Amino acid sequence: MRSFLQIKIKGRGFWYVCAMFVMGIVITCCSIQNFSVVQPDTAVVGSNVDFKVHFKFSNIFASRTENFVFGFLVPKGWDAAHNTKISYTSSAGNGNLVLMPGTTLEPQGNGLNWPAAMKKKFGIGGNLIDDMEWVVYQSDVGFPLSNGEAITADLTISVKVGADGNNTLCKLGYVIAESYDGLHDPDGFLDGGEKYEYYAETVTSCFQLTGGPGDVVDFCNPQLSSYDPPKTLDNDFFTITYDGNVATTPLNNAAAVYLCATGNTSDGKSITVCEQTAKTKLTQTAAGSNRYKITLWPHQFFGLSDAQTLTNMTYYITDASGSTKVGYGNTTAPFVYTFKCK
Amino acid sequence: MKQLYKQTKTKWLLLFFAAMAFASCKVEHLTPAKESVKDISGDWVVISATRNGTDLMSLIDFSQFKLSFKDGKYTLVNRLPFLVSKDGAYSLDDPQYPFKISFTATGSPAVATAFTYPIVNGVRQLTLTFSPGCPNNTYVYTFKKAN
Repeated sequence: MRSFLQIKIKGRGFWYVCAMFVMGIVITCCSIQNFSVVQPDTAVVGSNVDFKVHFKFSNIFASRTENFVFGFLVPKGWDAAHNTKISYTSSAGNGNLVLMPGTTLEPQGNGLNWPAAMKKKFGIGGNLIDDMEWVVYQSDVGFPLSNGEAITADLTISVKVGADGNNTLCKLGYVIAESYDGLHDPDGFLDGGEKYEYYAETVTSCFQLTGGPGDVVDFCNPQLSSYDPPKTLDNDFFTITYDGNVATTPLNNAAAVYLCATGNTSDGKSITVCEQTAKTKLTQTAAGSNRYKITLWPHQFFGLSDAQTLTNMTYYITDASGSTKVGYGNTTAPFVYTFKCK
Repeated sequence: MKQLYKQTKTKWLLLFFAAMAFASCKVEHLTPAKESVKDISGDWVVISATRNGTDLMSLIDFSQFKLSFKDGKYTLVNRLPFLVSKDGAYSLDDPQYPFKISFTATGSPAVATAFTYPIVNGVRQLTLTFSPGCPNNTYVYTFKKAN
């Protein structure tokens, strides 16, 4: 039976073969399959926790030697680069992952190194506080891969979690790639669209640390009060945001909100600034947004002497009368912020 | 004999022209214009300020803050978080091509920071990068001379 489409293409067979070849490369080159992560939901601050990653790497197109690359998104306070050991078992051999040198550039990163390229491509994995970092590792040896070869591998990531002592809730991120192609992404979708990224990325649901001496730091859930930068000393400019949309509080519909704070100094003094004036007034970020901000220089705000430093501050958000107060988690307990860099 | 005389004359003429040709070349000694010494003395006010890339000008009142350089000393007027917290002495690493400025607050060790001194729209600016609190928080202040 003849086709209704009477298109005559010279060398039809040749072009047909070419098209199949190109599609074959695009769809199958260097894909990572069966990517899965096993992690506990909770852990105790300071304990050693094992995270497991499994994947299968298929190399179809070219034969070359490549290192596996593993990116781990964690809170900066964990200092993961110093508190993590990663071993692998694979169908091509066993060994350890080593930290990627900071001078190694990500092949698709236009001059960015691996951690910077991962941050640019994947951000902070849906966490709400920009105090996460990508820590990047590679296999201690390169694997000579031939066309058509596939390797299955299992990583055991052993981390001493919560080096900063904080009771943290965060979403951890995992990326598998290889050293030659890097974060190559022909279709521009992070995950999905056409499934031919040369890497695989996943972010898990919220992981919780408990039992630590530090503050509660929640990267997962919107907070009534949040900070920018997340880590400061009293000689930084410090922005406190109050988000009235997070919960229904006694301050709903307040015409203006104010900061009522007590600073605790390293020499054991407590200095309270609880007034409803221009000094303590939070500015609404946009009309009707119900989000308010104040940026202060704590050293000056609490009137410290040159020799004094702040260790922490406790505070409430109040209305113009000062009688209606909102504290941590919409309770009567104050918010607590500790001044520290790690 | 006449022939010989003619040959000698030609030789002398050739020598003469060669000498003239050499003499016409003159070594010229160029003296490059001397780079001016960068004088930053005077009062400087903040025209732009960022913290980790976020604009601070709309959040903080910088209008009262002044940095004043005079005779190797600096003073901070209505001080805000800055590289140093007390008055003291300053110096540039190279008076003609400065890349670093160091501040020595009275009774403290010197702190140096990268320093740029561009001319923008005909006005000298002074841009300093520093971390007054946590080392991870980077502030960039750009100053211009107060009128």
